[in-house]
Amino acid sequence: MAARFCVNLTHSKDDPDRATVGFVLANAALGSGKETLVFLSIEGVRLANRGFAESIHEEGFPPLRELMDNFAKGGGTIYVCSPCFKKRKLDENNLVAGASIVGGAKLVEFLSDGNPCVSL
Amino acid sequence: MTDTERADVVWDAADLACGVLLLSLRGRMESMRPGQVLRLIAQDTGASEDLPAWCRLTGHTLVSAAPPVYMIRRKER
Repeated sequence: MAARFCVNLTHSKDDPDRATVGFVLANAALGSGKETLVFLSIEGVRLANRGFAESIHEEGFPPLRELMDNFAKGGGTIYVCSPCFKKRKLDENNLVAGASIVGGAKLVEFLSDGNPCVSL
Repeated sequence: MTDTERADVVWDAADLACGVLLLSLRGRMESMRPGQVLRLIAQDTGASEDLPAWCRLTGHTLVSAAPPVYMIRRKER
């Protein structure tokens, strides 16, 4: 059984439902003992900036900020797609806990050996 | 002896579900000693499928499942 689990999250305020479910699923993997990565890409990279998720609270779920905080406290890792981040001119000095800006090789490395990844 | 009497820890998770439930459950199990039993009350419909899977993944033992009540024994290490 793979020890790692990845969620590729491509949305933020453009689709709060997907953004929220991405972190709910990531927390399920983390809670199940998996080394868990959330890879933020495309519009998802906006979530890497502190404060951006504050206003996202999808009905039926905890606030996204709370889900992200719990993910970081639980030891989850967040990779942020470098070109997606730069393209949007976001602030690399204002990242949320657990986040780091990376290139594609870091994702490929994490997924090596057949580790699973779901995309939202 | 009732479930409540056999349990070392009782947690009413109400309607918490999926990752919110499981991440909190992990923390609670980690705070227990090996062999101790948690009496978990989980009202979410998906919990009856999720909790047995979670136990298989993590190595904890699902002693009994009578939704919404689940008795889970913490693994040795």
